[in-house]
Amino acid sequence: MYYKFSGFTQKLTGAWASDAYNPQGLRPVVSTEAPPIIFATPTKLTSSYPAYDYAGKNKVPELQKFFQKPDGLPVHLKRGLPDQMLYRTTMALTLGGTIYCLIALYKAAQPRNK
Amino acid sequence: MNHQTHAFHMVNPSPWPLTGALSALLITSGLTMWFHFNSMTLMLLGLLACIMTMYQWWRDIVREGTYQGHHTPTVQKGLRYGMVLFIISEVFFFAGFFWAFYHSSLAPTPELGGYWPPAGINPLNPTEVPLLNTAILLASGVSITWAHHSLMEGHRKHVIQSLLTTIILGIYFTLLQASEYFEAPFTISDGIYGSTFFVATGFHGLHVIIGSTFLTVCLIRQLLFHFTSKHHFGFEAAAWYWHFVDVVWLFLYVSIYWWGS
Repeated sequence: MYYKFSGFTQKLTGAWASDAYNPQGLRPVVSTEAPPIIFATPTKLTSSYPAYDYAGKNKVPELQKFFQKPDGLPVHLKRGLPDQMLYRTTMALTLGGTIYCLIALYKAAQPRNK
Repeated sequence: MNHQTHAFHMVNPSPWPLTGALSALLITSGLTMWFHFNSMTLMLLGLLACIMTMYQWWRDIVREGTYQGHHTPTVQKGLRYGMVLFIISEVFFFAGFFWAFYHSSLAPTPELGGYWPPAGINPLNPTEVPLLNTAILLASGVSITWAHHSLMEGHRKHVIQSLLTTIILGIYFTLLQASEYFEAPFTISDGIYGSTFFVATGFHGLHVIIGSTFLTVCLIRQLLFHFTSKHHFGFEAAAWYWHFVDVVWLFLYVSIYWWGS
């Protein structure tokens, strides 16, 4: 039987072995390239991965490598140009709209001449 | 220093909370401009900014979880708490509209004729399209459970089929409700009956559309191999939301369509 301290009840409560061995929820990885392990596991994930079956093959492992490149870019700009364009458009619309909104509200607050 | 020594996710600075908040300002003031000054520009600008914010914010979460591996079990627990609390807040949102309905229908005023449905209102027959809609949503609850079990057992093809079934049922419900709205003999401005009926069912319909969209995103992610048999919280969140939408409909059906007719 394993126990953990429940912050909620301030008492010891029962726990699973997984909690005792990995209290922070971090699981030990076999290699630094952890993500491919999930997909490479041959157990019951799928009986077969016919690449021709459903619109292309599994691109997740390469995307994982790509997004984990230590280039210092924040996640919302990680892809480079397309991300930047979308970000700039969103920000322009939002900030421009805010200015338009403030002007419109100012005008709307003026008394109407009878 | 590349390695964090804790299980939590320290997110990169992000512009989306700001653009989201500002888009909310634009939508609300845009509504004012639409109601009082006959101009839809501000509101449409706000809706566009809101949609772009949502797309990029959730895209970033997928990048952080699926591609960068930040969603440890601890982080996932936090995400679960978050989704549960959000759905609870939605329950309270609908509770208000049910309160309004019962307040008016349990003690109908003399102006309504002293009975419910009020004088002059021909309610919809609950055994016709509304009953079909009930069957549709219940069936969609079954198909999404099938999808979840297939996902946990690694049957990729079944996940895709059952998720597609669920989405099609959701769309079918929406189309039937839309046609009911067109054909109904009463409108939203037909007194308190019209108000409570269309506001409650209208917000429910909006949530069906949101849920169907969430499920469609899950389908796309499933096609792109994002989900594993052990880790698929996005799908679970969509399933919880979908069951919530189903339950709200059951309450709507029993209260407004059936008891209220």
